[in-house]
Amino acid sequence: MNSLIRPTFWPEGLSRNLLGVAVLLVLWHIAASALTGSYMLAGPTAVINYLIAEHALIGRALAVTLQNAAWGFLAGNLAAIGLALLVTLLPALRLPIGAVALVVFCLPLVATGPVLRVLYGPGPGPQITLAALSVYYTTFLPLLVGLRAAPGSWFDLITLYGRGAWSTFIHIRIMASLPYLMAGLQIAAPAAFLGAMVGEFTGADRGMGVLALRAMRGLDVDATWTLALVAALVSMIAYGAIGLLAAWLGTSKPDILLATAPAKTSGNVASVLRSVTFVLATIVLILISWWVAMEAFALSRFFAKRPDDIWRYLMTAPDASANRAVLWAASQATLVQVIPGYLAGLGVGAALAMLLMLRPGLSGAVLPVAIALRSVPIVTTAPLIVLALGRGAAGTITIVAVMTFFPALVACMQGLRQAPGQVLDVMRLYATTPLARLWYAQLPAMLPGFFAAARLSVPAAILAVTVAEWLATGRGLGALMAMTASTSDYNLLWSAIVVVTAGASIGYALVGGVERLILSRLAPEQLKP
Amino acid sequence: MAEQILAPGPEIACIKLSKTYGYRDTEVQAVAPLSVTFQAGRMTALVGPSGCGKSTLLRMVAGLEQPSEGQIVAGDKSPQDMQRAGALAMAFQDASLLPWRSVRGNIALARRLARLPADPRAVDDMIARVGLAGFEKVRPAALSGGMRQRVAIARCLVTQPRVLLLDEPFGAVDELTRARLNAELPPLWRATATTSLLVTHSIREAVSLADRVIVFSSRPARIVGDIAIPSEARRDRSVHLALVEKVSAALSGGWDEAGRAENLAAQ
Repeated sequence: MNSLIRPTFWPEGLSRNLLGVAVLLVLWHIAASALTGSYMLAGPTAVINYLIAEHALIGRALAVTLQNAAWGFLAGNLAAIGLALLVTLLPALRLPIGAVALVVFCLPLVATGPVLRVLYGPGPGPQITLAALSVYYTTFLPLLVGLRAAPGSWFDLITLYGRGAWSTFIHIRIMASLPYLMAGLQIAAPAAFLGAMVGEFTGADRGMGVLALRAMRGLDVDATWTLALVAALVSMIAYGAIGLLAAWLGTSKPDILLATAPAKTSGNVASVLRSVTFVLATIVLILISWWVAMEAFALSRFFAKRPDDIWRYLMTAPDASANRAVLWAASQATLVQVIPGYLAGLGVGAALAMLLMLRPGLSGAVLPVAIALRSVPIVTTAPLIVLALGRGAAGTITIVAVMTFFPALVACMQGLRQAPGQVLDVMRLYATTPLARLWYAQLPAMLPGFFAAARLSVPAAILAVTVAEWLATGRGLGALMAMTASTSDYNLLWSAIVVVTAGASIGYALVGGVERLILSRLAPEQLKP
Repeated sequence: MAEQILAPGPEIACIKLSKTYGYRDTEVQAVAPLSVTFQAGRMTALVGPSGCGKSTLLRMVAGLEQPSEGQIVAGDKSPQDMQRAGALAMAFQDASLLPWRSVRGNIALARRLARLPADPRAVDDMIARVGLAGFEKVRPAALSGGMRQRVAIARCLVTQPRVLLLDEPFGAVDELTRARLNAELPPLWRATATTSLLVTHSIREAVSLADRVIVFSSRPARIVGDIAIPSEARRDRSVHLALVEKVSAALSGGWDEAGRAENLAAQ
């Protein structure tokens, strides 16, 4: 219970963090000087000059984007809270709602943006919706854990007085889940801003996304970096502010942020059959919701495709095989880049977390760099990274890796700290090396966090790769979606959405399967019975 | 607080009670068919080796777990009836206080859960009786382990329960604090004639507090000793020591019979 009382927010050693910021500024200046004339990186002075010259313009755009992000943040988190409460009070709904929520989270923003633009017409609708879509799942998941995370004796206490689920909910679950909710909101704040910016790429008339798109198209390096840094700064401030709010509320960092994948009970025929039935039922549920949503708003079949349109386009139409070939080629091009980037990001994140565990002194210098890298919105810097590393695989792979390494780093650091202190003390008694302690005690404790990050990074990696393809390389599914959106080839666009969403969901499930396999060998106690 | 005159707590009868847990392929029998009666208005201590099933027995009496077979009757009520009547209270090994509620808030919550009218004076009076006057607004995190257990006991007693279940409530506090709690708190519940069950690892504690000590064998629990504790054991040191010896002997007899060396080693 004492762990519930730990102070929470980030600035632990402010002076060390300041050192990190200083190191970052110097590195930035050196890099910018070295790259002068290559149209890749604007130095600190160029950014400040641009900021002074265009502060009115940027201020107005920022106000618009912040407003859209705030509405999306509100809507997405309210949806997450509503879903989590529903699932907690009606546990039978947990699996179907969880599955549909995941699939919706896997929708590619790059393609849903243009579709939403057509559906909403002009105005802030798509921006707000995309912001909401990018936050609700990362709030829903920890909240779901938080609503269950309390010592058994607290629940016994409620039962003891003859009270039921409602009292448990009012007196225990709501308060016990607060730290988890705050952690979810903290992750959500930068994500909402990013979602709103992507929404503005799809033909909005005002906002940071509009400015960023214009700067990218014009290869205006100063403007691009200034906008990216302003966006990064806003994200960091929002992240920090929610951390302070959590500290003020007296909540603490939850010990385990994300649930581990439920253990497979057994490999017998009945349970396999049940899993298959569940997956099929989920697919049917999603197809029906899709169809009902389109019909309910009486949306035109020209741009609002139904499941049967896609089936016809890919399976029964005369040119179905050609259509499939286009999609398959684009999928291959994307897979070749997203998989190495995803694995590299996870690997670097885990390795960095272990390094910081062995050499804690480095964290003051490393963490600010990591946070800054994560906060700089990938959508604005993707074209510049590609420009720097070339249109080949390296650029896209790097972007995907940057997108996935930070969640892995944070989750692994949190996991490494979960190793029981007494076990470490026992090992110290035998004068074990830090490396041995890492291997025998801390690494097993790290695995659940690592896999939780790995699962959540699947949609993030796909967002990164599709954005890079759309804005920079012009290959793969991202480019295909952007191209079909602009040529109004809605059959192909919706088919691509289906492919990406299905791919992300399958990827998520695959990572869950690998997680079960590895945890059942190495740390079976971490799997839920 | 004007002490209400309450009827003694009910007699609790466990009839052919057994509890089996299934872990995948293996079945663990926590409690073998067991029949025992706990006298009305008295405190019975349950002692036995770790993992023998005495806590499971307590949880079944509390209605927190269902017996695999057999039944429990308290007076004419089932454990679930007692839950609904607000007649139960239980203290756990860790105090199990809600960290976001103050001392007062934690204790008041029990009255609310038991559907009793809010009674701030009764709550503050109970806080004073467990020796925590002045700490009403403090959160559990700021209290010592012994103070938290005092809050947990106050939370139990504030509803005037007819059945009080104590699951090693002082197991996690140091010896000196434990001795003080043992001296100060039992008179509070002795006065109310509650039927109480105390699970403990301390033979001295069992003999000091209870009217009767039941000794269990290792798992599955069987009764290997049933020793009445006359009230002079609390006054006469030699009587006390003799009874401690008697309980110890019953306990080691139970071990030898089961031949479980690890229990001896653990002790």
